[in-house]
Amino acid sequence: MPIYNSVLKQIDPVETKRYAGLGKVDFNEAIIQKACLEAQLLAEPKGIWQIYNYNTCSYKVESSPEFLIRGEKIRKHLATSAKVIVLAVTIGETIEKQITNYFKQGEYSYSLLLDAAATTAVEQAADDVEKTIKQYTTAQGYQMIWRFSPGYGDWDICFQPEMLHLSDAKEIGITLTESMMLIPRKSITAIIGLVPNSNEKNEKKQSCSACSKQDCLARRSS
Amino acid sequence: MIYVFDGAMGTMLQSANLKPGDCPELLNIIQPDLIKKIHLDYISSGADIIETNTFGGNRIKLEHYGLADRTREINIAAAKIAKDAAGKKIKVAGSMGPTGKFIEPLGELSFDEAYSVFFEQARYLAEAEVDYILIETSIDIQEMRAALLAAKTATNLPVICQMSYSNDGRTVTGTDPQTAAITLEAMGADIIGANCSLGPEQLLPIIRILAQNTTKPISVQPNAGMPHLVNGKTIFPMDSTEMAQWAPQLIEAGASFIGGCCGTTPQHIAAIKKAITGLKASTRKQSLPRLALTSRSKTVFIDKDLPTVLIGERINPTGRKKLAAEIKSGSFLSAKKEALEQIQAGAHILDINMGVGGMDQTAAMKKAITEIAQLVDVPLAIDTSDATALEAGLKAYPGRALINSVSAEPERLETFLPLAKKYGAAILCLPISANGVPKTADERLQVMETILNEAFEFGLKAGDFLLDGLVMTVAAEPNACQETLSTLRLYRAKFGYPSTMGLSNISYGLPNRPLINSTFFAMCLAAGLDAPIMNPYDKPMQDTLFASAALIGHDQNGRAYSLIASNQAVPKGAATAPEIDVDILTAIKAAVMNGEKEAVASLVERALAEKYPPTEITEKALTAAMNDIGIGFGNGKLFLPQVLLSAEAMRAAFLKIKEILPAQNLQNNGTVVIATVKGDIHDLGKNIVAALLENNGFQLIDLGKDVDAETIVRKALEYDADIVGLCALMTTTMTQIDTVIHALKKSGSNAKVMVGGAVLTQEYANQAGADCYAKDGVVAVNLAKNLLK
Repeated sequence: MPIYNSVLKQIDPVETKRYAGLGKVDFNEAIIQKACLEAQLLAEPKGIWQIYNYNTCSYKVESSPEFLIRGEKIRKHLATSAKVIVLAVTIGETIEKQITNYFKQGEYSYSLLLDAAATTAVEQAADDVEKTIKQYTTAQGYQMIWRFSPGYGDWDICFQPEMLHLSDAKEIGITLTESMMLIPRKSITAIIGLVPNSNEKNEKKQSCSACSKQDCLARRSS
Repeated sequence: MIYVFDGAMGTMLQSANLKPGDCPELLNIIQPDLIKKIHLDYISSGADIIETNTFGGNRIKLEHYGLADRTREINIAAAKIAKDAAGKKIKVAGSMGPTGKFIEPLGELSFDEAYSVFFEQARYLAEAEVDYILIETSIDIQEMRAALLAAKTATNLPVICQMSYSNDGRTVTGTDPQTAAITLEAMGADIIGANCSLGPEQLLPIIRILAQNTTKPISVQPNAGMPHLVNGKTIFPMDSTEMAQWAPQLIEAGASFIGGCCGTTPQHIAAIKKAITGLKASTRKQSLPRLALTSRSKTVFIDKDLPTVLIGERINPTGRKKLAAEIKSGSFLSAKKEALEQIQAGAHILDINMGVGGMDQTAAMKKAITEIAQLVDVPLAIDTSDATALEAGLKAYPGRALINSVSAEPERLETFLPLAKKYGAAILCLPISANGVPKTADERLQVMETILNEAFEFGLKAGDFLLDGLVMTVAAEPNACQETLSTLRLYRAKFGYPSTMGLSNISYGLPNRPLINSTFFAMCLAAGLDAPIMNPYDKPMQDTLFASAALIGHDQNGRAYSLIASNQAVPKGAATAPEIDVDILTAIKAAVMNGEKEAVASLVERALAEKYPPTEITEKALTAAMNDIGIGFGNGKLFLPQVLLSAEAMRAAFLKIKEILPAQNLQNNGTVVIATVKGDIHDLGKNIVAALLENNGFQLIDLGKDVDAETIVRKALEYDADIVGLCALMTTTMTQIDTVIHALKKSGSNAKVMVGGAVLTQEYANQAGADCYAKDGVVAVNLAKNLLK
């Protein structure tokens, strides 16, 4: 059961601005920096993953019990994967409490920026875990494709319980509400396909243009 | 002399049909002939050193196959097979690969557990008389440190330490080859190298960096290129001819041990042997050893020809009650905050002191070092007089730390020096003896000599020392300043090692201490102070450091100095604030739009003093501002964080009006009960809508998140709500909106229903029977006003 707790040496201010809906607009950079620094201080990154075989004909992850992947987009995404990694990452509850505190104190804008920095932090933590896994999978001749989470495209969020089970996310303290929300809120579960290097596959990096949520605050313009 | 290692064991076993899921190390017992044949093939290809088939032979790895209780049997069998095959001329290296787990805090395995697992394996390999211990393919410097320490303690054999680097030239956990070389040499590694993950081309620059940073021999064992999967088998594409072409370059770069990792075969080794025959190991230019400290991912050098290194002193609970209490309660949040902020202020190294009375300093030091090292990338100094706390800190630290400090007191020398040697730490030498603090420079020099001689006895060497100049109080000791300056000069002339000290003692008891401190600082820098221990937030000291760097020549021609804005000549009179020449309501409106909440509060105060009625301030300044902001947000000119800053300014204005005129009834546009629906724990979006409504004259009843239909209906009736605002962020909680609306209508409430949240749409709102759908907080304010017209 590999556990890897990412090291966050800097929270990306550019991504933080994007998640705060600021894009490339000029804003008080000192405040953005402050939010990034505070997110770095309060984040408690933890990650865990497990590798499974994947049957592209039956669309089943060969876990015990098996996990049937439903959804056209996710099936297409995993069409050439021989194995999958099921991954869970969180940055913990402390930062969540602090975001709420700031709002209560009337620091609306800063609360939003810290929330955006926290989102950046959990994404960075997941990137870092991915990079660590890549070391193993590259050595075995696999290429990793981008991570796909329940709720993306037509992959229903109701598969969170299976994702938590397969990644063993409870080991790092992630739980689920009845309505399929991850607690702590700044947590991620995802599946990553492992494509044998011999099958050339150059899928484009996930892009905002593929997403149907046109009015998303963090949507990239291009 | 160049030594050739063998190639891959796993690749050979795979081609001998080892099935995935079988334990390769068990073959030492069930198919010893197969393993021996592979060894013999490599020997006949020209290998000078063969590696035992024990890469996964540690207890944790073997446990995966239920073989943990056969750890000894497997390792001894493997070593015997190799020794058998090797005969007298060929050497055997006992291979120790990773456990597959990360060490705390990156993972769940404790340093001590890792240490004992490697200790056990090294002991068995040594028992069967291997010639080297080879720790290989490590991607976590903490795991390498644990294994190296274990191998050095369990055996007397030379230890080879090979880390695995990724394409970006670092291990996946962030360690670069310079940092690895310095950290591992200090801990006693005998040969330092790199293997696996990369092919020879990518390893070449890494070998060059290793060669520049260690005096130890260097080993390299590349993969045969980057792997592909063919028919379920991992194939490495580089053939023996191509691989061998890289060998002379790797030798020239500094390697004197060369072999192969994944995908290499006896053919590869034969080709490498042929390619290097007749070559000599390259001679490396030996520069004088410098003092280097490392973190997991960074090296910092301290030396006389290098820019001044600032050691941040703030993580020290002495005289800081709040910090002390927090540390005592087990929280390191403030200490971590100090760590980040000191680095922002320019610290290159952080001193960590956990000297809080009445608590377990050892546990605190371990936790502080672990957590701060995980957060920042600058090296740390462990500041303690307690040997147990020191060892806990050194063990937990994934790099080469500085020990602060070693004095000439016998007990300190006896306990601290062995720890410095064992964990590869540098020492800060403090010239205080059992007789107390020497007053003169000559006496200090003598005491320093005692410390250094003792340190040499314990195996420390040049490059391990940072000398403290000692500072006394000038108000009590008239020569205090002169003696310290002389000490620094004498250190430089006699030993040549870099120097350090804390400075602020000098000014104790004098007025305007900052002036004395910064003047003294400039003198010390000129006399050869290399690494001051100081408060990095201290502006006069930082200014002095910048100016001194320009004068001493660390900052050539004062270029960096010139870039600092505060040193630019400012034309006098240009900075005076313009008088407000607009009327005060316009000024309030502008301040709200700019989100200047402090300015707003004082402007509102002035407006009230000038007898503007609050309703006029609200309508003509505040509401007018929010209207303009709404328009700006709507057409994409303003963004949410800016809108929220304006809302904060509005709030400040309302609070000010309430404070000055408590009885004043401000405009009430209507009562809104707002909630995030049951099952949904998202708060922020709803909070933003609530804040914007509240600061636009609505009375807000915020029920929070995860609120069930019954509560929402009850509160709507209780407060006679004009509007009920419902928020849902997920498809799974969206249907709660239908439930609430249904219950509200049944209850007889006349409230209008406004809905919003990430997944909601106008269509959904219509179908659920809502009165309106607000796509964001600004729209919500406009809709709320329209609903109640």
